[in-house]
Amino acid sequence: MPDIYTPDWYDAVVKAINGRVEQLKDVPAGAWTCRIEIAGDGSSPYVSAGGQRHFLVRIENGQCTWYREVDPEDDGTELDYRFQGPATIFDEIAAGVLDPIDAALHGTVKVRGDMRFMLRQAELVKTLLEAYADGVETTWPEGAPPYEGAAHA
Amino acid sequence: MRDACDIVIIGAGHNGLTLGSYLARSGLDVIVCERRHEEGGGLCTEELTLPGFLHNVHANYHTFVDMAPPVADLDVRAHGVEYVRPEVQMASVFEDGTALVVHDDLDKTCASIARFDEEDAETFRRLHREAHGFIDLVLGTLMYEPPMAVKELTKALASFGVEKRSEFLSVKLRVETIDQFLAQHFRNPKVKAHLAFHGAVCGYTNDVKGLAIGFPLLAGKIDNWHLCVGGSHRLAHALWRDLAQHGGVMVSDAEVSRVLVDGGRAVGVRLADGTEITAAKAVVSTVSVEQTFLEFMDGQAVPEPFREKVRTEVRHKDWTLFSVHLAMDRFPEYEAAAFDPDVDRAWVVNLGYGSPQELDADWAAIRAGRLPDPRPNAAVNSLYDPTDAPEGCATGLLRQFAPFALAEGGAGAWDGVGPYYGRKCVEAWRRFAPNLTDDAFLDRAVFTPLDIARKLPNMVRGDWMMGEISLDNMLDQRPLPELGHYRTPVERLYMGGSTQHPHGFITFGPAYNALSVIAEDLGLEHWWRKV
Repeated sequence: MPDIYTPDWYDAVVKAINGRVEQLKDVPAGAWTCRIEIAGDGSSPYVSAGGQRHFLVRIENGQCTWYREVDPEDDGTELDYRFQGPATIFDEIAAGVLDPIDAALHGTVKVRGDMRFMLRQAELVKTLLEAYADGVETTWPEGAPPYEGAAHA
Repeated sequence: MRDACDIVIIGAGHNGLTLGSYLARSGLDVIVCERRHEEGGGLCTEELTLPGFLHNVHANYHTFVDMAPPVADLDVRAHGVEYVRPEVQMASVFEDGTALVVHDDLDKTCASIARFDEEDAETFRRLHREAHGFIDLVLGTLMYEPPMAVKELTKALASFGVEKRSEFLSVKLRVETIDQFLAQHFRNPKVKAHLAFHGAVCGYTNDVKGLAIGFPLLAGKIDNWHLCVGGSHRLAHALWRDLAQHGGVMVSDAEVSRVLVDGGRAVGVRLADGTEITAAKAVVSTVSVEQTFLEFMDGQAVPEPFREKVRTEVRHKDWTLFSVHLAMDRFPEYEAAAFDPDVDRAWVVNLGYGSPQELDADWAAIRAGRLPDPRPNAAVNSLYDPTDAPEGCATGLLRQFAPFALAEGGAGAWDGVGPYYGRKCVEAWRRFAPNLTDDAFLDRAVFTPLDIARKLPNMVRGDWMMGEISLDNMLDQRPLPELGHYRTPVERLYMGGSTQHPHGFITFGPAYNALSVIAEDLGLEHWWRKV
């Protein structure tokens, strides 16, 4: 069981996503680069308070081809989607405590990019999010969410 | 005047200027032709009464500030636009001397609602919070993207299980009226009246089936009303400046009489004075569908069956607005201030609708061409913009929901009826604010539905939304399925004005979305897309 946000964990997430996507009937062709921007909120022990951890995810024909952490200052990659939110929220999503669709619908995770595509490919998007949320058995060396006293954004 | 360019845009309203600016920033040579003597269209501010009193003749309320991408993309603030978000946004005053007040602060708004019904206050808080959560998603999906079909949206909502996750969003909203939505979620008739009134001011009639689908979004921006300091025309001027700074040209007094079509492709325009301007890449119309396809083109330029559809199937709102512009030497002091002193600082006040049913009765009268007993809404911009009137004075605006064609005498009867009805509207205001005695009004100017159509002929029958607001005239069906994606039956002729999705109001949406389609067709880089 990999520790959260380690290279092993990224690999496990990729495998989980691809395993689930393989079971879908209609997967759209094309490639998308998504950036996940996690902001330290003082409650999550995995992102320092006021700090940032950013990840790039590449989806090609529905499959996740890579998933890596990038320098928050390096915003040069051409993106299709950007997801932003506080660390507690992302930790809770990765731990399966918080539903990612709820988080997007209620604005705790901000999503930017072509929403029409996301809506038209709702099944794929749902599968990707579910794999992220519950596809990996994660260990939480500094403690697992929900964190005591954490206020949701 | 230059006689050739890449793109000709017909109409220098906010959509025409916005589109022109983006295209000019993309390196294209743009000419915007405007029939009137100045840019702006509905963004029109004039001294209609006395010198120093600035009246917004048409657009007064800016509700998409900082939600619409062009506000930032085109640097409108750097070009001199200053917006104010009044701390007391809106109010309703009722016959029994009570008042419901919407603030820019949710807690204060809920406290005001709680004086009528505590449960309604908590419901409103939840609705507002939920709407604020999804407002970015909804705006990004529905307002500032070329439209999807209702069926696609419904399918996606079902796939994501939105109905299970939301207290207020549901697939059944597409067959419900706002009245029904309010009846399901709220209890107090005055609370419901204020929310229905807010919907109506946004163009969403509370008794029209299907419009409940838009109501949660309206609730989410109920406290995002802004006024443009110095008058709404300042925004038009800023957009013109941006266009000019990027090499575009706006030509005033340039009435288009013809769209030039060669081999099925739009190649330019002819002006009323005979001048021809050729467009190497495209022509974009931001005026009405009727002007574009019935006046500017004949059956040789555009297929006659399509012109027939324009004649018979394009629908307009079944009510419009009657306005009274007032130069005043004092501010209104409402009797309801004894109940809630903040009502005297409310920018916009609903004068008397106390239940959705009272609004419904007026819609029925209006649809029959009758004039309702006035229950106008009163806006006093000077409360938050002292530059719009001489010191110590105020500029007032009364707006009354009204028919375009009167049962007796049709639209032409407005010229005779207007002054009388204007007096009745002022009397209705005085009933709630007794200090507005006759001597408070230094001058007044009525602006009837017929005046709207005369001044801004793209607003056919005084239709300030430039097309009916109904579920089957929304998204990709607006204004006709053939035009729903901003392209037209004529190659390289586009529609980019408020006839298109999303609709009228200062949304910038039609221009922004038409831009995407034009960029796709012309192979332009989408530099404005900031993911």
